[in-house]
Amino acid sequence: MTDRPPLLKTLDLVKHFPVNRSLRDLVRGAPSRAVHAVDGVSISVEPGKTLGLIGESGSGKSTLGWLIARLFAPTRGQILFDGQEIGTLRGAALRAWHRNVQMVFQDPIGSLDSRMRVWQVVGEPIYAQEGTRGHALRERVAEILPTVGLPPECLYQYPHEFSGGGRQRISLARALSVNPKMIVLDEPTSALDVAVQAQILNRLVALQRERGNAYLLITHNVAAVRYVSHRVAVMYLGQIVEIGSVRDVLERPVHPYTKALLAAVPVADARRRRTRYRITGEIPTLLQPPPGCRFAARCPFVIDRCRTEEPLLREIPGMPDRKVSCHRAEEVADVAPDLLLSPEESPPAPEKAAPTGSAG
Amino acid sequence: MTDPVLSVEGLSVDYVVGAGTFHALRDVSFEMMPGRVLGIVGETGCGKSTLAHAIPRLLPEPPAKVRSGRVVFQGVDLLEVPKWKIPLVRGTEIGMIFQEPINSLDPSYRIYQQVAEAVRVRRLRDAGRAPVFAKEVQPFDYSKGRTPKAGEVLSHPFLPSVPQPRSGGEGAPSPPVPPGMREEALEYLRLVRINDPETVLNLYPHELSGGMRQRIMIAMALSEKPSLLIADEPTSALDVTIQAQVLTLMKELLEEVRTSILFISHDLGVIAEIADDVGVMYAGHLVELGPVVDVFQRPRHPYTKALMRSIPTRYQDDGPLPTLAGSVPNLSRLPSGCSFAPRCPIARDECTVDPGPALATPLEFPRGRINAASCLYLRESEGMP
Repeated sequence: MTDRPPLLKTLDLVKHFPVNRSLRDLVRGAPSRAVHAVDGVSISVEPGKTLGLIGESGSGKSTLGWLIARLFAPTRGQILFDGQEIGTLRGAALRAWHRNVQMVFQDPIGSLDSRMRVWQVVGEPIYAQEGTRGHALRERVAEILPTVGLPPECLYQYPHEFSGGGRQRISLARALSVNPKMIVLDEPTSALDVAVQAQILNRLVALQRERGNAYLLITHNVAAVRYVSHRVAVMYLGQIVEIGSVRDVLERPVHPYTKALLAAVPVADARRRRTRYRITGEIPTLLQPPPGCRFAARCPFVIDRCRTEEPLLREIPGMPDRKVSCHRAEEVADVAPDLLLSPEESPPAPEKAAPTGSAG
Repeated sequence: MTDPVLSVEGLSVDYVVGAGTFHALRDVSFEMMPGRVLGIVGETGCGKSTLAHAIPRLLPEPPAKVRSGRVVFQGVDLLEVPKWKIPLVRGTEIGMIFQEPINSLDPSYRIYQQVAEAVRVRRLRDAGRAPVFAKEVQPFDYSKGRTPKAGEVLSHPFLPSVPQPRSGGEGAPSPPVPPGMREEALEYLRLVRINDPETVLNLYPHELSGGMRQRIMIAMALSEKPSLLIADEPTSALDVTIQAQVLTLMKELLEEVRTSILFISHDLGVIAEIADDVGVMYAGHLVELGPVVDVFQRPRHPYTKALMRSIPTRYQDDGPLPTLAGSVPNLSRLPSGCSFAPRCPIARDECTVDPGPALATPLEFPRGRINAASCLYLRESEGMP
């Protein structure tokens, strides 16, 4: 833990998307409903560090990223960036502030204009912020391209001439162009092959060391989070269920959902193949979050209290720098994911690939 | 010694398009044994999907063109079978599951109608009332120049027509269904562990989640009792927890329904989880083939080694991730010799001329280390990290 003030801090951030009511509901006077995409999230990101955000699709992690980049305005709550409240910024002030936070999107085809050349794509934030154009802009862009591993010659090429990894490098160059204090990376490598993914992840880490940008890495890819992040937050149904330093959380998960999520990640090791703990059911709808703990319906440790009382994100005794929202965190902390199966649910586990004694 | 369910021999497929000829598959050979899962892994554009589509002859021709090779399924070369007979193989003999289940399900029919169609086709074939794919049944030979008599072709309906019971408004009497059809459809939905199958049967595909849709696809594929199931990235569109559920289901079903699976994926973790044998593809070439434990623990081909090493498994303070220099070659301008040579750390002059030894296809994998790799310098590659 550093004593430096966090670069970004959100306080009880909420984003609801209202759902259009049908005429029948309007006539009946039914209450208007909303998708509770982000529901009371408080996180902080240190300068020059990476916070990884993992969770299933539908957990609200992308919405949180868009809120922090102020592409959405929050419904409630505060976003403090360098001590400044930015949740309420509008118009020119918001536009000027945007130079502090840039985004890299998942889809490297959809997020690059196919009719713009590389220098136009990468230079657009500079033009928007500083009004630089023409030859001066191309010179600026030519300086940025080598930092992401692209040759300066590709200034005049179009995005479609690049492979998936090359396009993601262009996206990264665009985000870096105005030298933001923070970059929100929304699934930056999920469209990439494993060999290309390693190149991009290496580049991200090297750039952070050189330039000191903070990252918010949103992904479902645990391997990417492990390598790039310093801290990691696990999100489920619009709320943070566990947060802590990356090594602690990934090696000793406490919350039952974190355990389940990590256990579900396939490991590229045929010897460790086993019938893994799997959570039954699927992520419920965000339209009507259940009362009490949101994971209760899928949790193997559920007790009556979980269904009525909402657990708060709290510190766990004996685990510094860790917060978990679970009533039974202390009891389940040391239960290995494999032991989570109840006896009747436990499927027969024929070890197809028996571990060979000498392999190592 | 059991006969292989499928043996692919020297299969080469090109895509002939305006920009040139893309060699998507080059001299791919392997065999699949009954009840085993063969995983095919490789990067984007290495030809693994082309392989999956070439076996049941689903490739669009043109642009695809099968240059050479044989696809022997149950003793019959599928590439020689006349095109009109191929639908008899698909579904009943070779089942298929694709990446996006929403694209494989008809949005305008209820789940029941789609599952029942598969069940009905199989029933008709079981009852001998529809043509089946077998060696004895000879197709009508148009090449002899004799014009077919009326009814000669029609007596064997191409595909039996399936009545489409559409339920009317609420309260309308449900249309007549063949006896036991609904029960059988329910049985298959229960087989793939769908909760509340009675309700699901009456839903449309868009009302289901991705994991449920993929289960329906598996149920439909299995209801035909295929002897070979081709799964092309079946879990890549799913969340990691749902993927774990589907993989567990497939593993459990393997015990119940004995079928061979050709499992295509780019995810090494998924392959390690489900496959018995694994083939590694690079630029249309099968570069390594062997039992999954051997290939993952002791890869022999330099490309396999590099691929295994590039899986990120470390923390930032452990140092940078090992990467593979360069990028995948353009399939229309492949380098001569070994296609991996330009990126290979142990490549020598010969590698740019000689494409390396052909991959031996062992008939059965006994205990021990026989994963075949197509590389000239396997001994030198031992020393590679």
